[in-house]
Amino acid sequence: MKLKKKNQIKYFLLSVLGLAAFFGIWELSVRLGWVSDRTLSAPSAVIETLIRKLTDAKPDGSTLPQHFWQSLKLALSSFLVAVVVGVPLGWVMGYYKVADRLLTPLFEILRPIPPIAWIPIVILTMGIGMRAKIFIIFLAAFVPCVINSYLGIRLTDPVKINVAKTFGASPFKIFTTVCIPSSLNMVFTGVRLSLNSSWTTLVAAEMLASSRGLGYMIQLGRTLIRPDIIIVGMITIGITGALLNKLLALLEKKIAPWRYRDEA
Amino acid sequence: MAVLENKISVRNLCKTYEMKGNSHEVLRNMSFDVRENEFLVLLGPGQCGKTVLLNILAELEQPDGGEIVFAGGRPRMGEIGFVFQKYALFPWKTVMGNVEMSLKLRGVDKETRRAAAQEYIDMVGLSGFEKALPKQLSGGMKQRVGIARAYASEASIMLMDEPFGALDAQTRYQMEDEILRICEKKKRTVVFVTNNVEEAIYLGDRILLLSSRPSSVKEEYVVDLPRPRKHTDPAFLALRNRIVSNTDLNI
Amino acid sequence: MKHNKDRILSMLLPLISLGLFFVLWFWLARAEDSMIPTPYETLLRLLEICRKPISKATLPIHIWVSLRRVLIAFFCAIVMGVSFGVALGWNRTFRALVNPIFEILRPIPPIAWIPLIILWCGIGELPKVIIVLIGSVVPIVLNTYSGMKEIDPLLLDAGKVLGAGRRQLLWEITLPATVPAILAGIRTALSSGWMCVVAAEMIAARQGVGFLIVRGQESGDTALIVACMLVIGVVSMLLSTVLIKLEGVLCPWQFSKTK
Repeated sequence: MKLKKKNQIKYFLLSVLGLAAFFGIWELSVRLGWVSDRTLSAPSAVIETLIRKLTDAKPDGSTLPQHFWQSLKLALSSFLVAVVVGVPLGWVMGYYKVADRLLTPLFEILRPIPPIAWIPIVILTMGIGMRAKIFIIFLAAFVPCVINSYLGIRLTDPVKINVAKTFGASPFKIFTTVCIPSSLNMVFTGVRLSLNSSWTTLVAAEMLASSRGLGYMIQLGRTLIRPDIIIVGMITIGITGALLNKLLALLEKKIAPWRYRDEA
Repeated sequence: MAVLENKISVRNLCKTYEMKGNSHEVLRNMSFDVRENEFLVLLGPGQCGKTVLLNILAELEQPDGGEIVFAGGRPRMGEIGFVFQKYALFPWKTVMGNVEMSLKLRGVDKETRRAAAQEYIDMVGLSGFEKALPKQLSGGMKQRVGIARAYASEASIMLMDEPFGALDAQTRYQMEDEILRICEKKKRTVVFVTNNVEEAIYLGDRILLLSSRPSSVKEEYVVDLPRPRKHTDPAFLALRNRIVSNTDLNI
Repeated sequence: MKHNKDRILSMLLPLISLGLFFVLWFWLARAEDSMIPTPYETLLRLLEICRKPISKATLPIHIWVSLRRVLIAFFCAIVMGVSFGVALGWNRTFRALVNPIFEILRPIPPIAWIPLIILWCGIGELPKVIIVLIGSVVPIVLNTYSGMKEIDPLLLDAGKVLGAGRRQLLWEITLPATVPAILAGIRTALSSGWMCVVAAEMIAARQGVGFLIVRGQESGDTALIVACMLVIGVVSMLLSTVLIKLEGVLCPWQFSKTK
């Protein structure tokens, strides 16, 4: 027991050491001029820029919170619409043969096209406004939702369905009380995939066509050769993505506690 | 003459697990001897720590107290054969690859170990399946591979942890005869764990009945019925009744 | 009788759905001042770019340029990702030292690295390869590491009782047992890598399918865009089909079907 505690402290210190070395080398390599400050900014400079960007709109036209809010709004609204539409559609496709035969071929065509490749055609037909971006992110989030809900229904244990049949349940009753609950595991996997996909696609869409948002900010940082702004943007993107994931995990825990029983 | 010598002496073995602040005492003062070349059966209710005991004997786990003395000194890893209830075959290895594993790990050259492994594959009746993957085999065949793999290590001690527990009844009877035939052919000291009274009486030279948790040895039965034994033999049934009435209920 | 009707229906419905898809596409394309090309125009454009070069390269060359970038990065990613993942899973000191850094970098989407990488490496071949590398190394590391963590402890016990030393446990037991997880990571990595190359080429490139699609956007050539989308989709599908076939060969105990 004693030894275990001692080991824990040792590994914790090692982790701290690793992080310190990472940031230390980064800072030093800029300070000592090993790399030019036109290609990389020191962590201290990045923090400075981060704090300044909280209120300062220069040089990219918006403050960091404005960029952040713009991106979050876009990503979350499209993501939510995709979940609300995609999950039930996947369920129906998984359970009803006619829907399956009718819609699955379409998804087989759409699925391999990365959402990013939709950007040019959508921009040309819908312009570069909110509508176009919402549509692109919706596409990115929609496909994994549908496919995973579909698979969730298809993978329902047939024994459970047979049990419900012996109780005399109607097909619709079986669909709602057996298939949907047992598909939830896969549904959550799909929702998680689609959240990641929508956040990534959002960044790409903003980099290619936008005048505000985190993706726009890092793209402009490149044009202006301002690595500090790029890194501030990357950090914000990374942290937001991680936080959204955490939030979703918490939500899952609330809705489907059985998924986490083993880890507790 | 060497038959009565103690191969393994277990003295006052104790083991307690700490889980989420609760402590579960699994073994309490467990003491027994295993004699050379005997077929010893450890019979106990489910969850009574039989697996833990075998893991300690195989040095996969450490006891909290007590000692184990082996005649001729503590065998090194690989010098005790172990047959797992859930087979634990390496799924990426063929039957041959699984059986020759211990020799390969020891650095025996390919030709020698192939020849040695082949003997054990033939012994368990799997000739012709050398190149099959475990997932292509039935449960009974998988456990034959498990037995061949354990015997191929040339260990003088075999630990078997409910090896037939996952098999259907028909296969189980078949495998019981099989293991007796193998023991007849290759004399080894066998410690066989089971929760099945008939299996214990059918196989064992000696049976140690374990109490439920925290478990220790409750009673020793010497089975002096002639082999091959019959499940319907009155002496068999009498012994069975004696053991069953003495067994702790497993909740 | 009913069975027969079901079969005809299940064969007919996919055809109906594809037919409806094309009708819808055609209808969208024929609508007043629509930018969308008809299927026929798209097909013509596709055939045309196979012969007539854009930016000094025909379509097959553009595809090859993109594929080459992906494949180079992908093989580097396999070597680096697997060794890094194994080190994370096997050595606690290494894990304690490096994992926090990895955890900090991991949530940043590979696409968000593009501006910084372009600042560092300009707009030649190297930045694209690096971006694809970032995009494909992460899933390989994650899968390798979690595969090692979730290895069946029974297999490790079996290895130990058969006399495996620590090194043998790694090479003979742990690594083979992790292969299915690694292959799953590689599959994710390849599709992520393909997406990254398209994105990187869309932002800064002179050749490649991503460049081609942006060229279509800049010149308002929607037939070119849709043709490129189809090409990107088909290549992505082919890549994953090849990998699935390969998995059956590399890891028959897990993936291939047997009698």
